[in-house]
Amino acid sequence: MGLNKFRAKSPWILHYNAGSCNGCDIEILACLSPKYDVERFGMINTGNPKQSDILLITGPVTERCRERLVDLYSQMPEPKVVVACGSCASTGGVFRDMYGTECGVDNYIPVDVSVPGCACRPEQIMQGVVAALGILAQKNKDIEKPVRLAGKVTEQDGQTNRRELAGTLEATNAKN
Amino acid sequence: MKRTLTIPMGSQHIALLEPLHFRFTCENEKIVGVDADVGYVHRGIELACASKFKFRQVSFVVGRVCGLCSISHTTAYSQAAERLLGLDISKKAKYLRILVIELDRLHSHLLCLAHTAENTGFEALFMQIMRDREASMELLELVTGNRVQFDYSCVGGVTRDITTDIEKELTRKLAKLKTDLEELYEVFRTNWSLSLRYKGVGALNAQQIKELNAVGPLARAAGVAIDVRSDTEDLLPWKEVGYKMMVEQTGDVYARNIVRFREMFNSFEIIENVLRGMPQGDLVTETKANPQGEAVSRLEAPRGELFYYIKGNNTPVLERVKIKAPTFSNVAAFIEIFKGQEYASVPPILASLDPCLSCTAR
Repeated sequence: MGLNKFRAKSPWILHYNAGSCNGCDIEILACLSPKYDVERFGMINTGNPKQSDILLITGPVTERCRERLVDLYSQMPEPKVVVACGSCASTGGVFRDMYGTECGVDNYIPVDVSVPGCACRPEQIMQGVVAALGILAQKNKDIEKPVRLAGKVTEQDGQTNRRELAGTLEATNAKN
Repeated sequence: MKRTLTIPMGSQHIALLEPLHFRFTCENEKIVGVDADVGYVHRGIELACASKFKFRQVSFVVGRVCGLCSISHTTAYSQAAERLLGLDISKKAKYLRILVIELDRLHSHLLCLAHTAENTGFEALFMQIMRDREASMELLELVTGNRVQFDYSCVGGVTRDITTDIEKELTRKLAKLKTDLEELYEVFRTNWSLSLRYKGVGALNAQQIKELNAVGPLARAAGVAIDVRSDTEDLLPWKEVGYKMMVEQTGDVYARNIVRFREMFNSFEIIENVLRGMPQGDLVTETKANPQGEAVSRLEAPRGELFYYIKGNNTPVLERVKIKAPTFSNVAAFIEIFKGQEYASVPPILASLDPCLSCTAR
């Protein structure tokens, strides 16, 4: 109970660009700048999935990116929240039905907050992230699985191993 | 004792904005071999432009190729389409396009410099540049109505006009931004700690640049005077608005930063001249014709030469759209630059090259 309350006070962000046009990415960078200053919520942009609580995704998941995206998601420890930034991360946007893209992030991993806009403004991203904090405080340590994956979480030497989840993506797609 | 290591970097890394994969082969600290994979962002825009969208919509679709230089993409496409249709757009539309292209160049170069400073480990400078950069973002929003994806150029002209209020605001904010930039220029030129990380690091000479076909600030920093703005006059009147070529000689990270600063100071002059000499005319020149034949158009994006080839067959849907983005030309040079450098210099060099992978992979 206590831990959940304080976890939402210093969430760390992992940002992954899954094939976006950079528009939303530079707006995420602008969020870190002094004018918007998202760091006042205790957030730090980190490059390590194992230390992150919030996954910010931009772009309509290209075919080359999807395994990396699911791998990153699987490596993040629970509780975790996913924020899909921009129209194309939410639904595919203008890239919907192009041959290299999948229509949105939620085909692969469960999305908690979708931020609209092309490109989404820093104010909208901040609102989305703050909404995600509320969800983060509610969540517990239950294992969350990617949507389209059938692999199982294993225990090795007392540690939870989630990497197999990402490895089974191709097998699942072949079955479908 | 030499020990060979292979260090992968990407596709997700804190120093990268975009998915990009490098595989460095290092002997102790020194890089001896580089392997790059730039195709993570391939979405299939070229095919969609030639099958799913009508040619008037395509100028807004190609803006989504890249968020940083979306105005360059929309303008380059619109120019090519206007050539096919035989449209002669008004001088006012040309001036407004130049205005937004130069504002976009300001924000893109400032982002690159901020990113270089951050990857060098100078977080305070990153914050300072990002603070100053907000002025250019506000101006873009004022002129075009959106911060990043402006959709400002369309086939036949531009979509919005500027008013005297906006002109006043532009002059006021740009004057403030210029003094801020002069302060930053001083830091980049004279800061001793930065010079240790920038001077002599990641250098290419003019001969190598020519052999590897590099373009943009990367080439100009090594003394190769190549810029689309200096050799095309038919599409946009660059000489008239006071464009000057900015060339440095050393070709290292320091020179690239200085070229970007000098280009930004030139952008201020260009914007000033555009506002002073704004002609009267229509925003959009209309036509009912469909594109027929082939056309190319070139434009200097913030990262270098952007090239469009389009082919029409007298229907609303084009037959072929080919985009060659500046970073695509530069990838070969990236690999040469990294060879022989220390591994610790990779993040600042990479940021100073200003790669734009969503342009490259489309």
